[in-house]
Amino acid sequence: MAVAYNLQIVENCLKCTHREQRLFCDLPHEALLELQKIKATSVYPKGTLLCLEGQPPRGIYVLCTGRAKLSTTSAEGKSIILRIAEPGEVLGLTAAVSNTPYEATIETMESSQANFISQEDFVTFLREFPEVGMKVARQLTHNCKCAYSEIRSLGLSNSVPEKIAKLLLHWAEHPLELGRRMNGEIPIRVTLTQEEIAQFVGTSRETVSRVLGDFKRRGYLRIKGATWNILNKPALENMVTT
Amino acid sequence: MTATTTQESLLNELYDGIPLEVRLELEKRERTRKTRQGETLLQHGLTPDKLTLLNSGRVEISVNSSGHEVVLGTAGPGKTFGMRRAITGEPAEITVTCLEECEISEIAVAEFQAVLRDNPQLYFVVAKVLSADLKIVDELLRSCSRRVSSAVRAKNVREV
Repeated sequence: MAVAYNLQIVENCLKCTHREQRLFCDLPHEALLELQKIKATSVYPKGTLLCLEGQPPRGIYVLCTGRAKLSTTSAEGKSIILRIAEPGEVLGLTAAVSNTPYEATIETMESSQANFISQEDFVTFLREFPEVGMKVARQLTHNCKCAYSEIRSLGLSNSVPEKIAKLLLHWAEHPLELGRRMNGEIPIRVTLTQEEIAQFVGTSRETVSRVLGDFKRRGYLRIKGATWNILNKPALENMVTT
Repeated sequence: MTATTTQESLLNELYDGIPLEVRLELEKRERTRKTRQGETLLQHGLTPDKLTLLNSGRVEISVNSSGHEVVLGTAGPGKTFGMRRAITGEPAEITVTCLEECEISEIAVAEFQAVLRDNPQLYFVVAKVLSADLKIVDELLRSCSRRVSSAVRAKNVREV
């Protein structure tokens, strides 16, 4: 198996061991054979721009490993992170399906494998295999749900500490396995910089730094590199009003 | 109860680009009626049993949580509501309220799902409808720029 950027590259979707757990990839054999024909596998280092907001759609990326951030630019020219894509997600879907420019800039947050499918091939694939259509519809409903949740959050959160508490609680839903729940602590892996967290919650890096410092002082959180430990989940939950 | 005319149906995003025979199958299952101003077509948290096609009039789309209301915008003829429910069976994320008297066509979710099963090519149109919904929400996220509480405070009604 080839290796690049410390990633083992899975070239054959039929042999991928993660397939059944992924939103898009758990397809019938015939569809997988076709997917194998039309996709191009690539590995990208951290910080690669897969597509730019406003570009005409070229196709979609199935994110196999790694994570990617979807960001856009606000009316005020600020960068806003719309969401973080996880392995198994299809990126650029809305643009490819509706044949409109990409809605967001997509950038890898860590070394990632992604399978590219051209728009033409993808639309044909979608039309020919109903299971693909169903998966795509489910992915879009999932994305809609996340976006509505985000709208609720931005409209109803009253303070930056509350929004950061919400973000931490969201990440705590997927804790690191190692040392999980040790002493009631919840270890999570955070690869976002403070600047990116600021873009995520709509504030400045300085404010994020101040709020995290406050959380640490209060004993809610311990930060060591990319591993953060949530020490007092109930206290964070109490901060969240919606 | 009347069937929607073909001219009206052509306006709806659900019927844009689907084969004629599938459109006719769906039209056969439509129940068309007038609504009154203020009538709720879709209620956040509830699971609708119908797909709603807006033929005429305008509606307001909002998100509710903990008693607050965030208005996402308004929509006019051609919009379809309830698609997420038809695909996932999940409760509605939004509330849709008629701003005036509207004409709508409704298709029972179970009947829509049956047509979908028999005509899987319809999934492409479903994906287009859902993509359009997603674009609206993403655009709102962009325009709001995550200004805390701005959506609640301003109730900034935007054209959808």
